[in-house]
Amino acid sequence: MKPLDFITGEIVGILLFFIGLYGLMTKKTIVKTIMSMSIMESGIFLFYITINYTDGSVPPIGQAQEAAFVDPVPSALMITAIVIGTGVTAIGLTMFMHYKQKHGITHWSRNRNQTGSEH
Amino acid sequence: MLAPILTGAITYLLRNRAAKLFLYIFQVIYAGLAFYVFMTVKETGPIVWNVGGYTDGLALSLYADSISIFMVLMTAVFYIAFLVYVTREKYFRPRFYFLFMVLQGLMMGLFLSSDLFNIFVFLEVSTVVVSILIMINKEKQAIYDGMIYFFVNVIGSAFLLFGIGMLYRTFGLLDIRALKEAMSMLESPRAVVLPYGMMMVTVSLKTAVTPLFSWLPKAHGTPSAPPVVSAVLSGLYIKSGVYMFIRFNEMFNPVIDMHVFFFWIGFLTSLIGFIMALGQKDIKLILAYHTVSQVGLIMMGINMASEIAFWGAVYHIFNHAIFKSTLFLTAGKIYEEYGTRNVYKIRGLFRRMPWVAVATTLAILGITGAPFFNGSISKYMIAHGTYDYTVTLLLNIINLGTTMSFVKYATMLFGKSPKKGTAKSDFYASTACVVMGIASFLTGIFGEGLTQFFFNYEVHVNVDEYIQKGMVYVLMIVAGVAFYNGIIKHGGLITRIGHLELTFNGIITSMVGYFIVLIVYLSLIL
Repeated sequence: MKPLDFITGEIVGILLFFIGLYGLMTKKTIVKTIMSMSIMESGIFLFYITINYTDGSVPPIGQAQEAAFVDPVPSALMITAIVIGTGVTAIGLTMFMHYKQKHGITHWSRNRNQTGSEH
Repeated sequence: MLAPILTGAITYLLRNRAAKLFLYIFQVIYAGLAFYVFMTVKETGPIVWNVGGYTDGLALSLYADSISIFMVLMTAVFYIAFLVYVTREKYFRPRFYFLFMVLQGLMMGLFLSSDLFNIFVFLEVSTVVVSILIMINKEKQAIYDGMIYFFVNVIGSAFLLFGIGMLYRTFGLLDIRALKEAMSMLESPRAVVLPYGMMMVTVSLKTAVTPLFSWLPKAHGTPSAPPVVSAVLSGLYIKSGVYMFIRFNEMFNPVIDMHVFFFWIGFLTSLIGFIMALGQKDIKLILAYHTVSQVGLIMMGINMASEIAFWGAVYHIFNHAIFKSTLFLTAGKIYEEYGTRNVYKIRGLFRRMPWVAVATTLAILGITGAPFFNGSISKYMIAHGTYDYTVTLLLNIINLGTTMSFVKYATMLFGKSPKKGTAKSDFYASTACVVMGIASFLTGIFGEGLTQFFFNYEVHVNVDEYIQKGMVYVLMIVAGVAFYNGIIKHGGLITRIGHLELTFNGIITSMVGYFIVLIVYLSLIL
């Protein structure tokens, strides 16, 4: 058993998810929010593509293989999820840019009635 | 399901008067179609439609049973009224109705889809569409609120995705019905605690229960969002969360039973909802916080573990959709006319805009549960689910709160109008409002028949008891007026409570807190 055996994709995925969550809870800058969101999402992607993976399995392409096939469903789901994630990040950034250019606000404010009073 | 999106795209290309006509015709046909499927489901039982001819459980499938097809029918019919309402509005442009129709398609997808991953996709896309609809006027406050809505909900659905991943790891399945069967074969319920917690965070966020409702007033009550968008969000879209709650709980039912927890969550939500509503001045915010309170009531009904309360809650979903949409639509008309959203400055609605006032009155009577109106029937059914004295008391507290905040709302109807004469009214919009208002009366009178028709569930309203409820209602009104004049008018503490609001980071933190509480509670009871 190697010393770093416990660092599997699943564990790292879960860790990334919670690191992203921590960022969301503590950072007030909108850009950092978007970044934390991406970190969280990458954690989920990593988690998905490593679930039910066993060493030495092969992609399910072609026929008559001796080794076990990898489950293709998670990867298929993740292609969709990554596309959605990218789209969402792009939309988030667009909103932020629009908002900043028009009103010059980069932080979440405390009170909705005084949005942007700090800047 | 795809049809509304396609129609939206076609009308986006048409861009002229013909487009609008096409929209109406399509919507009527679509509602007819929904009705046809509804009748089929009613006669022959649930319909399953699998993509690509794989066996059931593995394939992506659409699934229609009595609840889901009922939601679909409701959405399709209400969209007719909404489309009539917006006919003359300024913002009724191609871009708007394209997104509007897309949202309808997505809601249909949410209601019908049986595959967890598809549900995630629909949620995510509808979040994007809704946030664009909120900020369609590109005003400062609207964009800020839309952004909060967008980020909070995207993060919420990330939780759902993670939960689905964990479920897939355990079972290798994604279909809700197949998962339910697999659950009963599970040896230790602890294996699904984490995914259950994750998925419930998302669902609770979507239904806006106690710690997580902060985004809702921002999204539903934002000043410059078109009233019809608020009506859709509050009347229909929030119900997709409740619907998912029913579905997911049914799925986890063999191993996890949480109805006590969610009953109390529902109660707290209701309580906080109306207390916050009392503190507001903005009529749209009053309505938005009130949605929170009513959703709490629905959650209570669902989690009472009795059949009549469950169907009462489902019927309340429908009723709430009617009167809350009516209220939001009329509120839109009102503040357009008066140029203010301050509830203390709007007076004399009956003289100024008689038809709108009539619709508002009908809807208020509905929401407070006046005898013969729809609210009373569903509240009667929910109250009937229990014989426990405490629970009845809790329900009465909520009713009192509802009455109080609507006494405040109803002060708009009377008094002297600042301007003389009746205002020019938009024929289409007022027709839509009045029709919805009358619907809230009719669905009350024919409540027994309708529940039988929609859910195959028989209700018999006991006349004596009903009269008793009527008396209670009158007392409630008196108490509500008294409370209003005594305490609320003078503001003070309640106003200050009403202005409490979480920041973005606060919302996320409460989300994580809620998740932790769920997990701890689950590991205690299992």
